[in-house]
Amino acid sequence: MKANKKRYAMLIDLRKCIGCNTCAVVCKSENNVPLSVWRSWVKRVEKGTFPHVKEYFLPIVCNNCAKPICVTVCPVKASIQRPDGIVYVDPHRCIGCRYCMASCPYGVRHINPLTKIVEKCFWCFHRVDAGLDPACVLSCPTGAIFFGDSSDPESQIAKALAENAVQVIKAELGTDPQTYYIGLDQEVVDTKESEGE
Amino acid sequence: MDSQLLYNITQQEAFGVFIAVYFYLTGLSAGSFILSTLAYGFGMERYKSLGRVGVILATVLLIIAPLFLLLHIGVPHRAWHLFVYLNFESPITWGSFLLILYPINCIIYGYFMFKEKKKQTRLFGLIGIPLAISVHGYTGFILAFGKARALWNTALMPILFLVSAIVSGIALMILVCIIKDRFFSKLKKIDYPLLENLGKMLAWVIVFDLFLVGCDILVLLISHSEAQEVAHLLISGKFFPLFLIVENLLGKIVPFTLLSVPRLRNLATMIIASLLVVIGIFFMRYVVVVGGEFIPLM
Repeated sequence: MKANKKRYAMLIDLRKCIGCNTCAVVCKSENNVPLSVWRSWVKRVEKGTFPHVKEYFLPIVCNNCAKPICVTVCPVKASIQRPDGIVYVDPHRCIGCRYCMASCPYGVRHINPLTKIVEKCFWCFHRVDAGLDPACVLSCPTGAIFFGDSSDPESQIAKALAENAVQVIKAELGTDPQTYYIGLDQEVVDTKESEGE
Repeated sequence: MDSQLLYNITQQEAFGVFIAVYFYLTGLSAGSFILSTLAYGFGMERYKSLGRVGVILATVLLIIAPLFLLLHIGVPHRAWHLFVYLNFESPITWGSFLLILYPINCIIYGYFMFKEKKKQTRLFGLIGIPLAISVHGYTGFILAFGKARALWNTALMPILFLVSAIVSGIALMILVCIIKDRFFSKLKKIDYPLLENLGKMLAWVIVFDLFLVGCDILVLLISHSEAQEVAHLLISGKFFPLFLIVENLLGKIVPFTLLSVPRLRNLATMIIASLLVVIGIFFMRYVVVVGGEFIPLM
């Protein structure tokens, strides 16, 4: 039997997330992300009214979509999807036109304020290719983030994806996101700056 | 349910005002070009004096427009990548070729027009029409492919852009014709019947434009939640003064009234109406581009 093609995926168990921001901080340090921009961050939303209040955390990284709109629209093929599914930006190719930023439904791309090219989370492929986990996965103190080859049925992530009710952000857009969540609350995704004022 | 955002990062603006200006200029250029072909491409002799003005405007505006793209992109000295690393799925790649072919065709067309070679002028005028439509239509596709944004991701976007291009093109042409006739012609006499024809044409294209904008907003208002959110941003939110007052009332309804009611139509109101339209369409581009990405994504 032919071996399945490798397909990386990420799973974030929000029940375990304590909102410590370690993932966001190690990402900055691992990838040399300048001040004012973030490749991963933790959105915080408060739901309910006192005394029935709960604070929710939503760690956000790139979804490394299976059908990435950023790769479709990039005019110079600087946004590239690797065979294993990771989407990255070639820093020598990108002209900084920001079309990918305009079309990404998740807002996970930014212009590097120093180099003026677009950067994003690519699941630390420099670490993954060396056989290590992405920095956020390694550093999460509660082990809430899983990463691995989802096409290998024996992998931890494939089992976790099969055995849990998982969600993705904005599934309706047909981008087929590969960052899955357990316990994703739609209200937490939808709450934006303009509301509650 | 009661929910409140405690922390999120702020997104950078992706397109912004330079792109709005770029769309505006290509629209004016395409509109002017199409007007110039009325006489030289389709043989409508009464519009003959628009030919030369039209082709000069179309060429000059389309040489200025891409400079705003260079101002916008982060690494302008890599602009040559656009012609080497091609992605035919991306509207920007379509555009990089259109932005070369269209001005070249404009220059050839203009050259034959000034040499008064009728046959060749007609040929390049007719070749230029699909190019002019594409060079502005593709900018509509740029936004329509931006699937993150409800205001952009609609099949109406290319046609909405084309119609507003023709609106702004006619208005600019009226203004330029008046200036040309008044200050740069031998007789110093304004060709009022021609302007009146243009004015009537402008009035009816404005109606079509209003119809398209109305369709767009009405469908957004009953579509999914993000579409409703952006529709409310335009009709009652932060963009209400620019969208309803500047773009549609001052930029379309007032000029339409001035141009279509015979008792109101004279040279002065025609100048006012055209100025309002030219300003109004700029704010149309601004509202679509900047308003479209105003609401945070996550």
